[in-house]
Amino acid sequence: MKLARFGLALTGLSFGLLAAVYVRALAFTPVERFQGPAQKIFYIHVPAAVWTELAMVLVGLAGIFYLFLKDPRLDRFAEASAEVGAAFGTVVLTTGPIWGKPVWGTWWTWDARLTLTLLLFLVLVGYLILRGAVADPGMRARYSAVLGICGLVLVPFVHLSVYLFRTLHPQPIVLKPSAPSLPGEMLVTLLFSFGVFTLLYVGLVTQRVALARLREERAGLTETGGAPHA
Amino acid sequence: MPEGVPQNAAYLTAAYIVAAALLLGYAVSLYLRIRRLR
Repeated sequence: MKLARFGLALTGLSFGLLAAVYVRALAFTPVERFQGPAQKIFYIHVPAAVWTELAMVLVGLAGIFYLFLKDPRLDRFAEASAEVGAAFGTVVLTTGPIWGKPVWGTWWTWDARLTLTLLLFLVLVGYLILRGAVADPGMRARYSAVLGICGLVLVPFVHLSVYLFRTLHPQPIVLKPSAPSLPGEMLVTLLFSFGVFTLLYVGLVTQRVALARLREERAGLTETGGAPHA
Repeated sequence: MPEGVPQNAAYLTAAYIVAAALLLGYAVSLYLRIRRLR
């Protein structure tokens, strides 16, 4: 299947580039004076966090369009984006506490940004559980579209929580109205990593969409008693 | 490393290994699920 092969190639390329991000971050990016080497966790944590939020936004948008157009490709994409978003969310929720322990002195605190990020992750996981629980494809697509839209509404609160509430979490240093407050070398590493995570997201979503299509083809075969459906 | 900089490289190593393992694990699971259906 062409789509699956294309996704696999893109994912393979992304992992090669992710290795380059690691090398650049570890060997060619300066150590931050106050946080020490642990600050470099930021080059993985931030792109993964941004793509978790974007994945949820795309799930919600696909849900809105699905409710109007009833195009199964939108539902397939939303499912793929939610699964990849949940995988990236897992990276965010593990690398964050590993950074928090040496810098804040605690693995976790129930402050607004952390709690809302956990909630976003749980919405993504809940979305996947809901899909697994509803057997009828039309109903499954409609219900999950609604949940996806709820998740989309949550994203601005996650991103703006550092402005809306008193929080321990650092404020955005790149995605903010003024110029990025990050030295050049660090900014280049962060943007490089963000590019690689973008490619990784596209590669993984492409593979996941291909998997959903294969499953539908297989389901079509069983429904028609083994004969290929038109 | 300059004096006074916190010595916490172990956390960095742990985070990078965990992130790579999670992403690779997910990519491999996708690959295997596709292969099983082919």
